[in-house]
Amino acid sequence: MQKKMAYSFPDEVLEQVFSFIQSDKDRNAVSLVCKSWDEIERWCRRKVFIGNCYAVSPRMVIRRFPEVRSIKLKGKPHFADFNLVPDGWGGYVLPWIAEMAGAYPWLEEIRLKRMVVTDESLELIAKSFKNFKVLVLFSCEGFSTDGLAAIAASCKNLRELDLRESEVDDLSGHWLAHFPETCTSLVSLNISCLRSDEVSFSALERLVGRCPNLRSLRLNRAVTLDKIANILRRAPQLVDFGTGYYAAELQPDVFSNLAGAFSSCKELKSLSGFWDVVPAYLPALYSICPRLTSLNLSYATIQSPDLIKLVSHCPRLQRLLVLDYVEDSGLEELASSCKDLQELRVFPSDPFGAEPNVSLTEQGLVAVSLGCPKLRSVLYFCRRMSNAALVTIAQNRPNLTRFRLCIIEPKTPDYLTLEPLDVGFGAIVEHCKDLRRLSLSGLLTDHVFEYIGTYGKKLEMLSVAFAGDSDLGLHHVLSGCESLRKLEIRDCPFGDKALLANAAKLETMRSLWMSSCAVSFGACKLLGQKMPKLNVEVIDETEPPDSRPESCPVDKLYIYRSVAGPRFDMPPFVWTMDEAVRILH
Amino acid sequence: MGRPTSSSSSIDSPNHFAFSSTASSQRDLTTDLRLGLSISIAPPFVREQWPPMKAAVAEEEHECNSSTFYVKVYMEGIPIGRKLDLLAHESYYDLIRTLEHMFHTNIIWAEAEMDRDHYEKYHVLTYEDKEGDWMMVGDVPWEMFLSAVRRLKISKC
Repeated sequence: MQKKMAYSFPDEVLEQVFSFIQSDKDRNAVSLVCKSWDEIERWCRRKVFIGNCYAVSPRMVIRRFPEVRSIKLKGKPHFADFNLVPDGWGGYVLPWIAEMAGAYPWLEEIRLKRMVVTDESLELIAKSFKNFKVLVLFSCEGFSTDGLAAIAASCKNLRELDLRESEVDDLSGHWLAHFPETCTSLVSLNISCLRSDEVSFSALERLVGRCPNLRSLRLNRAVTLDKIANILRRAPQLVDFGTGYYAAELQPDVFSNLAGAFSSCKELKSLSGFWDVVPAYLPALYSICPRLTSLNLSYATIQSPDLIKLVSHCPRLQRLLVLDYVEDSGLEELASSCKDLQELRVFPSDPFGAEPNVSLTEQGLVAVSLGCPKLRSVLYFCRRMSNAALVTIAQNRPNLTRFRLCIIEPKTPDYLTLEPLDVGFGAIVEHCKDLRRLSLSGLLTDHVFEYIGTYGKKLEMLSVAFAGDSDLGLHHVLSGCESLRKLEIRDCPFGDKALLANAAKLETMRSLWMSSCAVSFGACKLLGQKMPKLNVEVIDETEPPDSRPESCPVDKLYIYRSVAGPRFDMPPFVWTMDEAVRILH
Repeated sequence: MGRPTSSSSSIDSPNHFAFSSTASSQRDLTTDLRLGLSISIAPPFVREQWPPMKAAVAEEEHECNSSTFYVKVYMEGIPIGRKLDLLAHESYYDLIRTLEHMFHTNIIWAEAEMDRDHYEKYHVLTYEDKEGDWMMVGDVPWEMFLSAVRRLKISKC
């Protein structure tokens, strides 16, 4: 009877059913039901997400999923954003492109994060995929505008070209002119990261003018304020717009032109850019402010009164990124005006100053936690915090899913009681039962990790710096956090014991980063030897780790699970602890 | 992904590891001195790349108008740079003085003398010229330097 059931649906029907299942997790679950489902599912999987490009090889992916149309790859560890990963570490996309060029001629979408992309890779993409539509390069590097010219020229159906936060060797603004006149398919163009002073503005204008489906356009600083109106008038259908340079001497005709252009954009909901913004030009936005749901002012060096005025015009705001010039007073205004707020990020304007330059404290965050019932995601840089404030925030906002707090001076205690902030962060993990991401700061003992291990059952990513007293701290996290996928630690007194005692846990996670901790070279070797499904990599730019006694701590350690075995593109300063490879060396 | 299988959930560290369960977080000091690292035990802590922020994206390289000439200055190990108005300075000596004050270090340039025993207290000043090459500051006349310089970099010795 059982056997009959398995064949009662023809494959085509199952395939049709599976086509409604989009999430990776669900797809993976489907493939585990039985062999025939696995077989059907793998032939109709169109989208693959690979969270660590070294966890699997291109060939393995292609062998299992022969008909992929969309791929998303991530390369370097997150701490690479803060320059903790030396240049040349890895994360090269070329091997992937080379294999996919042959295997996936119909590939449409490539999304990369923290990978090294070369002009050669871009040229290969342009040449190999006839129906290529989407290229997103998030925090990537290694390529120039020559590579972009190849993409522009060859990809006839290009819909998205998004270079957000990438480092591009900006050789010439002329690459934009490589989009043929026949290209009318663009939906999204993000060139905000391009540094050059020159952008072929006339080419940009013509491109924007002939793409009626353009919804998202983010310009770079080369586009001056007076040119923004021209662009907007050609694309009144825009939903998301990133201004260029938003400064100029106040001229009434420029102002009214700009205000008029903005008001003609009836769909505009999201704004960013605002480099060097001059407050006098902000009122040009007032007509669209009531519709705005997302505002990124993290480059806008304007003071609190101007920020307050702007924000008070945006009652529908769901997402705000801003510098700490907003101050507590600005955040109090935000809390009273923006009841739909879901995400807040406050960045420091003067992170290296010894003294605070603005009046932004824990009070601002407390106010927002009280006033904004939908607040889910917080990234907050400040200079002081208290356990009482954290407890209040936790009680006000148990629906938080992401909480990243950076108290600028490491090991800062509760400013009221001078105690560690264990209790405060403990309240966060205890009350916020759906917390998926947490970043800690301030003075913290092993106790905070005990709270995290006890309550952080849904926690997927944890970032720790200058915290803890002993291995017990790390042990609490590794043994308690059932959903943990990514753990990144720097400058903590965590050593061998907790790591070795929880070795199996590491196979259930994507990756573990530890730098400036107390893990010995000997422990790394042991881990590499005993855990073949883990790649254990030691990074040391000064000298080989085995030139010192085994008990010496390693400088940086990156451990990740992999079915592809140790990688072969390691630079001289990265050592694998895989026994076989080490012996060969 | 299938469930991972391992025969043991932990690995016992052999007893020859010199691991102590004390709360000490300090590296072996003699090792560090041998490596030439200057890690201080007392505060302020050595902290590279802190606070955790991405380097500012897409900044203009330099602004140039009749009365100012701002160039970016980066110190090795710090992702966020500073800006400096070169035209506010009269000479190399003036510039060096400002930089030493801004970055709290001793600067090596073409005409500097260095105490070789304390090299970790010094940083080398270089500049990127119009051809993209990195050159030591101070070899050419000041005016020629102003016309060639695009940005500055302060590197560890």
